[in-house]
Amino acid sequence: MSSIQRQIRFESDRDPGFADEIRAMPGCELIDRCIQCATCSGVCPVSTYMELTPRRIIELTRNGFKQDVLNANTIWICTSCYECQVECPKEIGITDVMYALKTKAIQAGVEPKHLGPPVLFKEFYNMVRKTGRMSETQLAVRSFIKSNPMQMWGMKWLGLRLLKTGRFSVKLEHMPKPSVLHTALDHADRIDGRRAK
Amino acid sequence: MDDKTIGNGSEEVRIGFFICHCGSNIAGTIDVEAVADYVRTLPNVVVSSDYKYTCSVAGQDMIVEDILKYKLNRVVVAACSPLLHEKTFRAATQRGGINPFFFHMVNIREHGSWVHQDRALATQKAMDMARGAIARVKFHKALEKRREPVRQSVLVVGGGIAGIHAALTMANAGKKVYLVEREPTIGGHMAMFDKTFPTLDCAACILTPKMSEVGSHPNIVLWSYSEVTEIKGYVGNYDVTVKRKPRYIKEDLCVGCLDCIDHCVFKTGNTDDEFNQNLSKRKPVYIPFAQAVPRLVAIDPAACTHLNGGKCEQSCATACDRQAIDFEQKETFEHIGVGAVIVATGFKPFDAHRKPLYGYGRFPDVYTALEVERLVCSSGPTGGDVVLKDGSKPKSVGIIHCVGSRDHQTNRWCSRVCCMYSLKLAHLLKEHTDAEIYNFYIDIRTPGKGYEEFYERLQEEGNHFIRGRVGDITDVPIIPEEEGRMIVRVEDSLAGFVRRIPVDMVVLATGLEPREDASEIRRRFNISCSSEGFFLERHPKLAPVSTTTDGVFLAGCCQGPKDIPDTVAQAGAAAAESLVLLDVGYVEMEPMTAFVTEKYCSGCKTCLPLCPFSAISRDEEKGVAVINPVLCKGCGTCVAACPSGAITQNLFEDRQIFAEIEELLVHA
Repeated sequence: MSSIQRQIRFESDRDPGFADEIRAMPGCELIDRCIQCATCSGVCPVSTYMELTPRRIIELTRNGFKQDVLNANTIWICTSCYECQVECPKEIGITDVMYALKTKAIQAGVEPKHLGPPVLFKEFYNMVRKTGRMSETQLAVRSFIKSNPMQMWGMKWLGLRLLKTGRFSVKLEHMPKPSVLHTALDHADRIDGRRAK
Repeated sequence: MDDKTIGNGSEEVRIGFFICHCGSNIAGTIDVEAVADYVRTLPNVVVSSDYKYTCSVAGQDMIVEDILKYKLNRVVVAACSPLLHEKTFRAATQRGGINPFFFHMVNIREHGSWVHQDRALATQKAMDMARGAIARVKFHKALEKRREPVRQSVLVVGGGIAGIHAALTMANAGKKVYLVEREPTIGGHMAMFDKTFPTLDCAACILTPKMSEVGSHPNIVLWSYSEVTEIKGYVGNYDVTVKRKPRYIKEDLCVGCLDCIDHCVFKTGNTDDEFNQNLSKRKPVYIPFAQAVPRLVAIDPAACTHLNGGKCEQSCATACDRQAIDFEQKETFEHIGVGAVIVATGFKPFDAHRKPLYGYGRFPDVYTALEVERLVCSSGPTGGDVVLKDGSKPKSVGIIHCVGSRDHQTNRWCSRVCCMYSLKLAHLLKEHTDAEIYNFYIDIRTPGKGYEEFYERLQEEGNHFIRGRVGDITDVPIIPEEEGRMIVRVEDSLAGFVRRIPVDMVVLATGLEPREDASEIRRRFNISCSSEGFFLERHPKLAPVSTTTDGVFLAGCCQGPKDIPDTVAQAGAAAAESLVLLDVGYVEMEPMTAFVTEKYCSGCKTCLPLCPFSAISRDEEKGVAVINPVLCKGCGTCVAACPSGAITQNLFEDRQIFAEIEELLVHA
């Protein structure tokens, strides 16, 4: 521990508007119903690695503790297996909340810059936005380069075998007319931008 | 068969012995076959057998058949406690054609298998106990139960929703009901509520029709401002004395026009209005609230100038054109006879002063839940405006759950209604003020129809629920936004950190506790109470409205905290139990009473003051003691105390007891 810091929270640490923004996102409408039973944290296969369990993410989100939520590794550890959402007794879209928080974190620019999952998500989005297609090899290579290049070395034989058996190619694929997609996505972005205001 | 003669003369004693396995409850620890085999060898035992469940129909039939087959005239069953099945087996004995008091029960379960582990020793003990019973039962006599008629009326003590519902149920069944209420009006706590959970029905709208029905019911005698001072007698035949406190109004003349209140020399209230939780003032001549039943004014002797010997023009009395005001009124006493009593004396809210850390009485805007009920009520002190003491509307309200409850320093129990009424008040406060509402809770407990759904509704209405027991309420700010406000300091145990939340109003969800004079009431009605002081039901599951005193029943929160639906259900149950008693029309008195053998009685009067039931008197002519078998409960005190051995108790005669002890000790 490097220094002694304030741990208590004031009401001014809350951002009720943030909670409202999340509530307004698809699948996140029911967070106020949560009874904190913690089934989500219990069934989550990767809660082992989470700084805050899914239960606490829901509690902090609906109370508007934006900084705590967006800075936790939880939303990036989440593999979107939907187990929590399936088991939730109040039918809350917990995985959807995780997605909403990831979006918010990226918009706020607070996502971890070299952690695997956020790098992968961004590379995935950039590639699909640009080409309309997902090329696995390219995506894997780009993600590894930006997050953990050394990890690629350890997976070289697996990569070669996959390449040999024709399970992936090194070619970057394109859809015939990406401009059509760009028009649609630009429009969606404008809607999103309006909603964010 | 003439069962009077059996065993009393020279006839041969023929005993049947039946031992019960009680599944594995008894047979798991005691070798019941060995006991049966052993008992078969004892003198006078004609048949001895074991059975898996002797209390079952087949088991009872076996007893009946054996009585007929072997011409038995005594029956001994070794099984559970006589409290459970003595009645069952006495009935079986009677079905076999012999007097039921030729039966005797040996408790080898509660006194045997359940408390011992060594199989051999437990079996030996069962054999010894059985041998004692076999020896004792020889001396049993035929006894008859006495029947006494039951008075066709009931006393209901307490005019809250429990008493109201019980009284109406009994009255509608055609029974005469005396409803005694201490306050000037019936209605109790429910009359003070604004809405009821979870349906948000207006409390007055659902209560006042029942109140006026009580007031006008031909079968109900309503005595408000009255108290039961004495009760004597026994089940079916209670003699009750009711003290009617002077309200300084002639009840038969007052029509409730309230002119006297308008003309009181005090133009505004001069004393705290207890109905409004002291949030407003009332005059010395008053009616508790607009829909009070009976609609009669009362004069408060503590606040009235004239009744305190002061000079007053008595304008109230002159204003009354019916001359109903009577300053000379004195307390009077009514004497009634009833068959049953329903005690529905209610609860007392926890005194929030006892938890000083919540600041009640220290900060002006810390309220109890009952005060807030009055504040949100449109007929309350502010006409339904939720305003703080400085007249402003709160922007932020903290509701603290479990005040005084679940706390070893105050009351250990969960008061059961606070979660739900807190949710209700949260909803009403949000509706009235649009404030931010924070609920500070330990657990949210919503067991009831539609209750969990109500909680979910409140969550979705945007109320904050913070799991953590509030540690402190302070007015010392540490950041600017806290200045001039109360700050609630609490660990949000779900979020995992301590929070400081500034609020303008604090509502304390105070728990329910027994009334201050509950133990006095308990003694008066000869009922028991649990350690916390709530009246004790005879059995927590199977006799929830009966008490240990026959003919006295319980309803509502005097028995323990409960909400309105449960209270009404319990009041209905108490009425039904009373109706059984009244409709059967007679009570059977157990014959194990004591009697005096006159030729041995020296008339020393030793026994007279000892009898807890005042059942013994002295026949002055003969100079001997006489025991009234109706009042005698068979406690045996006089039997033990009589210096000349002149008193005998049925079923506990010396020769019976000594025979049993002698046999029990043979192997000791």
